[in-house]
Amino acid sequence: MRDIKEILKKSKVFGLLDADSVKRLAGMFDQWTIHPGDILTNSGDTAHTFFLLGKGTVLLAMDEGKAIVLDTPGDFMGLELLSAKGKYKTSLSVLEEGSVFALSRQGFMELIREDSAMAETIMDAWQEYLDAKAPFAKNNEGPGLLQQF
Amino acid sequence: MPKRLLQKTMKARVFCNNFKSGGGHLYGLESINASNGWAISIVGISIVFSGLVSLSLVISQLYKVLALYEDPSKITAFFKSKKSKKVDEKEGEKIITIVLTRSQKETVKQFALLARTLDDHFSLPRLLHLAQISGIKDPYPSLNILLKMRIVESDENGFFMWKNEVSDRAVR
Repeated sequence: MRDIKEILKKSKVFGLLDADSVKRLAGMFDQWTIHPGDILTNSGDTAHTFFLLGKGTVLLAMDEGKAIVLDTPGDFMGLELLSAKGKYKTSLSVLEEGSVFALSRQGFMELIREDSAMAETIMDAWQEYLDAKAPFAKNNEGPGLLQQF
Repeated sequence: MPKRLLQKTMKARVFCNNFKSGGGHLYGLESINASNGWAISIVGISIVFSGLVSLSLVISQLYKVLALYEDPSKITAFFKSKKSKKVDEKEGEKIITIVLTRSQKETVKQFALLARTLDDHFSLPRLLHLAQISGIKDPYPSLNILLKMRIVESDENGFFMWKNEVSDRAVR
């Protein structure tokens, strides 16, 4: 199983952070084992956790029937927790056994409140990630709260 | 005569002399000592313990044998997949070749039937939902196999397409 620091460094969103930020961030994640059929989030539920994929395959389903298959370590899910409404707009179903690294909304908020430069880096990287991975989903999600930091 | 055997013989003589001279009905620990009881007990315990460990190992693996009994095609698939599971590099992307078991082939056929009821560019969550309500076995890992084998492929706009030629090849 891959190490969280390695995944953060290779992640499109967190890879641009400096070594200290990565180290601090890594300590805040919990590792969860995932099994086929597990539902990590349901659309409309309060967004409480942000996920980074460690291993396995996850289906990210949007309301309009669109979907993305996430199977690369470092793919992330649940950044809606930073949106103004704080509700998940996507459902996450596990297709293949593996692991995710989970970070609570509270932990994430404290982190970006303390470090606004990190918040800006994450927001820029998030937009780039969406452009590359799922341009059709760009209007669907948005880390609105990040803009306040 | 070897030293050990000599000691044993001496021990036995002492035991007989004691017995004959009337001093000698041995009981309890003495009797155990005189008859090598400790060694025999340890050997007995070891035999029983090893037997129980072996039995528990056999029982713990019994579910695998039962799974093979339910689906014998897994036996052939196991040996085939060892040889033929390979990763092809095509246009910089990984395509995994998986040899499907008989039941997996059936599942692919069932998914194919469901996909035919949908548009050419269909919603993957919708296909998964249909598979669930149709009672297809293990819909989540089965869908994962379809994706890995590129039987189902993204159209890069959030919807997915069913690749008939790949599907036909996989179930042949």
